[in-house]
Amino acid sequence: MGKQVDIKLLESIVGKDNVSNNPAIRYVYGTDASVHQSMPDVVVQPRTIEHVQEIMRYANAELIPVIPRGAGSGMSGHTVPIDGGIILDMKRMNRILEIRPEDMYCRVEPGVVDDDLNRALKPYGMFYPPSPASSRIATIGGEIGNNASGIRSVKYGATRDYVLGMKLVLANGYLVNLGATTRVEAAGYQIHRLIVGSEGTLGIIVEATMKFIPLPKLRCLGMATFDRIEYAGDAIADIITTGAEPSMLELMDHIAIKAVNTTLNMGLPDVEAIVLFEADGKVKEAVDYEMQTMKSICEKHHGEVKAMSYDAQERTRIYAGRKKLFAALSRYKEGLACTALADDMAVPYSKMAECAKKIHEVAEKYGVIMTAYGHCGAGVMHTKILMDPTKKEQWEAAKHAVEEIYNYVHSVGGITSGEHGIAISKAPSWKKARKDLLPVMRTIKRALDPNNILNPHKLMDAPEDWLTATPLRYWVKA
Amino acid sequence: MDIQYLKAWEAELNTCIRCAYCFEGCPVFKQLGWEVDSARGKAVLTYGLLTGELEPSDYVVRKIYECSFCKDCTERCSANVAIPDILAAARADLVSAGFVYDEHRELLDKIKQTGNIFGKELTPPIREGETPILLGCRFLERSEDAQRYLEILEKIGIKPKVFDEICCGMPFGVLGYKDELIHHQQEFRKRLPADEFICLCTTCIFFIKKSYPELNPKYVIEVIRERLPNVNVKKLGLKVTYHDPCNLARGLGMVKEPRDILRMIGVEVVELPTKGKEAECCGGGGGLLVTNLELAEKIAERRLNEAIALGVDMLVTLCPTCELNLGNIAKRGDKIEVKNLLDLVWQALK
Ligand SMILES: Cc1cc2nc3c(=O)[nH]c(=O)nc-3n(C[C@H](O)[C@H](O)[C@H](O)COP(=O)(O)OP(=O)(O)OC[C@H]3O[C@@H](n4cnc5c(N)ncnc54)[C@H](O)[C@@H]3O)c2cc1C
Ligand code: SF4
Ligand code: SF4
Repeated sequence: MGKQVDIKLLESIVGKDNVSNNPAIRYVYGTDASVHQSMPDVVVQPRTIEHVQEIMRYANAELIPVIPRGAGSGMSGHTVPIDGGIILDMKRMNRILEIRPEDMYCRVEPGVVDDDLNRALKPYGMFYPPSPASSRIATIGGEIGNNASGIRSVKYGATRDYVLGMKLVLANGYLVNLGATTRVEAAGYQIHRLIVGSEGTLGIIVEATMKFIPLPKLRCLGMATFDRIEYAGDAIADIITTGAEPSMLELMDHIAIKAVNTTLNMGLPDVEAIVLFEADGKVKEAVDYEMQTMKSICEKHHGEVKAMSYDAQERTRIYAGRKKLFAALSRYKEGLACTALADDMAVPYSKMAECAKKIHEVAEKYGVIMTAYGHCGAGVMHTKILMDPTKKEQWEAAKHAVEEIYNYVHSVGGITSGEHGIAISKAPSWKKARKDLLPVMRTIKRALDPNNILNPHKLMDAPEDWLTATPLRYWVKA
Repeated sequence: MDIQYLKAWEAELNTCIRCAYCFEGCPVFKQLGWEVDSARGKAVLTYGLLTGELEPSDYVVRKIYECSFCKDCTERCSANVAIPDILAAARADLVSAGFVYDEHRELLDKIKQTGNIFGKELTPPIREGETPILLGCRFLERSEDAQRYLEILEKIGIKPKVFDEICCGMPFGVLGYKDELIHHQQEFRKRLPADEFICLCTTCIFFIKKSYPELNPKYVIEVIRERLPNVNVKKLGLKVTYHDPCNLARGLGMVKEPRDILRMIGVEVVELPTKGKEAECCGGGGGLLVTNLELAEKIAERRLNEAIALGVDMLVTLCPTCELNLGNIAKRGDKIEVKNLLDLVWQALK
């Protein structure tokens, strides 16, 4: 920690009502959707770019850590302030500044919630596609910070594909305009792209220019069941490699199916794997073609197609099990908590089924429960570790399980995080796999933030052991 | 602080994945804007109290009481975490530790003395029929309205039996006076003529179904919907908006019934931006009207403005607390009228 934070000074910048060092507020802002916990010294809610600039000038001069925070829905401890300091709660900077349908872009403040942006775009027949599952609360600033993506990223890409430019406040308070409003720009370093996925370590996004695209007129969703997860894995790989264009391609393993059936009584077929496949577009013939292609591929790999529909209500019904999966996992068994660990690796398509099996094997070995599901069309495999979080030995087991799974993922050419980011809990494995990258990232970090005040101890600078990096947010008993 | 009630919620609090999905609809968070004001913030606060990492303070107590028990958080929750129940437990522990609001104490003493939240000697419009009717404190006080609502029941073929009722006990439970609640519940049970009865108030019916599992009450709307097709009704030809009370829509899942009735009596409903199980709260629940009236009214104002923006001149609802809170704001603005749906039914049966 640097020096004592000067609350009065912060109040003079943003106003008394927008600063708090109340212990209860600090306690709440010390956690997010991860397993970590560590209190900031103060929480500030800036309203303007000038507020952010002045706060940064002060923090930089006094060497006080500053952690930008959107909804705090990061799963790896992104906004947990390891060293205390100032949490910049960006949620009050939430105005949609401009929507230009004629130029297909919008300018927004960083606290705008993804779903709110999509609601505003809908009357224009447009949408902003990379939305994560958390889009109802995730902010555009946080999505850029994490390079978020979601169920439709298989077709439409991730946040990085939609950021045209931004206004960024650097660690020393300097305001810079990055990128452009046009689709193309060939004018030196694409620094706005560097900020995507930077997890709040390089600057504070105070405005973003995002492109959007027309909403598809038609959507069709299908469900195929498989008796063996290998068959499902083969079908997924085949769908992708034949050039079919799914707008969603999701996998659920038997644990996910069981969770949904036993806790929510959803009546999903009792099989080893389910694949949900969707196509969208403007013309029915084209969508039909994609759906038939995917259906035939599923059948070729011993899948049974149980449902296929254009009807919105029917699609909701087909998707209900997947949608409710999180809730179901949280309720899998009394006393078990659904912890965000090893939650979003990505592996080559050909390794999807093998990865799922490896996850089950490791879980069994360490006495925890793990499921394998996810946006397999985009290569993302989600899992959660279900364990008794009050038991110390379960955490040790989880630590070994995480390590072993990542070792496997890296050995087959996969990566640590497909969408949720690295921050604290994924840093040890990621650092091990990307040794060559770390000095380059540190050089960039030093150039933009020489005093290391922006979200310090994350990514390449995170502690070597996630389990002891911060206190856990769970009440672990001896 | 000695933790007695919150202990039972430790596993539930571990189930919360802290995803923040409950930011989306929380009316208190929308007004106050700090994460501590959101449902997740409250889950974290109660966890801190449970583990002892957080000291109870006047500020913490205020935050724990700044909740309208609207259940929007539970509805949207990734894990169906029952935040209002957890907060009720936290309140009970805080009360045991001596954190008592004078206003709460006063209210509960009134109930103890007179059997109702107004602390007045209220005479119920006694009817010696067959089916016991529980009016609830608010309708008991609005005796002329209560008379009309009983007439509705008579017109649809029910013979109401009005008895010397007392408050269902909800304020004890919601404000954290669990020990006193147990005692009050015994008295409430004693006065009930039967386990099956019709309840006129949304809050009472929700609380009774939750806290007296042995009882089998029906909500008035269920009965009206069942029997209205058998009687002659006048089509009112009105255009209104309907505000779903939290306890009815999210609490009991009754979203369709009120709309069916409005259709039957020729009332067109222009829907608010959020409706049914996703409807925004009026701010009047959870004791907020007593704990922080200003906040409760701000929440109501937001909801009422949505109704005004629809261009209708009447908002109907069923909950007498919604009616009160929204009605108070409406009276100040003179742009929209707030009415109970039962009043429209009475008009249609006149
Ligand atoms: C239930 C659940 C489901 C999820 N599903 C998905 C999913 O499908 N796909 C996915 O990608 N993610 C998912 N996530 C993870 C997370 O919600 C997203 O990555 C989301 O984009 C984070 O947004 P946020 O506003 O919560 O950001 P935060 O968590 O607050 O911040 C994320 C990062 O961005 C930085 N940041 C925030 N604002 C700014 C700013 N203005 N300037 C600079 N940096 C900033 C922060 O410092 C932090 O490092 C999920 C999370 C949960 C809990
Ligand atoms: S939505 Fe539910 S699980 Fe998520 S933070 Fe809120 S209470 Fe917790
Ligand atoms: S019950 Fe309503 S007011 Fe209370 S925390 Fe949940 S959403 Fe917010």
